[in-house]
Amino acid sequence: MSAIFHWCESNGAGEIETQDITNLNFGNLDTPNVNVTLYPVTRGQNSYSKYIRGFFTGTWTDITAIKFWKSLGNLVSGETIKAAANVSYVTPSKTSTGDSNIPILESTALSVNSAEGEVNIEYGGSAVSGYTAYIRLQLQSLISTTPGAVNQKTFTLQYDEV
Amino acid sequence: MDINMGDNNSMESLTFSWIAFFNDGKIIKQYEEGIEHRFQEVKDNLINLIRFSLVNKNFSICFTVELKNGFILYNNYRGINLEEIEYKENIRLIFFRRHQIEIGENLKQKNHTITYHLGFQYLDKLGNNKKIILQIDEEGNWILSE
Repeated sequence: MSAIFHWCESNGAGEIETQDITNLNFGNLDTPNVNVTLYPVTRGQNSYSKYIRGFFTGTWTDITAIKFWKSLGNLVSGETIKAAANVSYVTPSKTSTGDSNIPILESTALSVNSAEGEVNIEYGGSAVSGYTAYIRLQLQSLISTTPGAVNQKTFTLQYDEV
Repeated sequence: MDINMGDNNSMESLTFSWIAFFNDGKIIKQYEEGIEHRFQEVKDNLINLIRFSLVNKNFSICFTVELKNGFILYNNYRGINLEEIEYKENIRLIFFRRHQIEIGENLKQKNHTITYHLGFQYLDKLGNNKKIILQIDEEGNWILSE
């Protein structure tokens, strides 16, 4: 057993959550596992912002030190990925999130709290949902961004469990 | 070490599981008789913990922290602590599993790696807090960090 991790993405005005998403594609549509061939980001525009979070099932004692960063994949010229952790959910849009560039090293990774704002997720604790706080992401491009597919990227979420 | 995991090991999903030994002779195995004990049971009785082991599924690899003297044993042989033997006081267990879970754009195969961190912290004769931690991968390879 121990803790079982699930990636979740929330979408839509009414916040529809999808558990166990299979990718983190950025596109011109507010949906999980977006098909970027059908809905690519237009040069000079932003992708829809994405709100993801982790959800733990199973049994554990404590989960701490939750971090998130972009671990692989180079950006092309004029492409940036913005990210922030511990944000509130709002309906995803293409408006610039105003967030900082996503960290690319574990040492500078975003620290992610629990949904309840704690630095740990204690099993069976009072009012503990098992969710992390939201992580907001957005791909931003310039009109000068190199046309075509951007490079594949990998994002890492790390946590310590006992 | 006498280890009997019973017949029902199907719930085990971790490469290494822990066994905790207490000064009153009590032993708690993470997986035992069809149930999984939570680390909370160890945490609640840390003051009486004298030894803590991580063993792999076929028991061919065993790392043990001796909390009385501050030693780390590999397959019951003392040989991992490379530091000079020094006075140690207030020796406390360090143990956690570090998970790294990857997701990407069109990443069909998501990677989930677990590194086991096992060791102890203590106060030296000058009162400085020091840590000795093994980082053990799922194949049993390890590195020592301080």
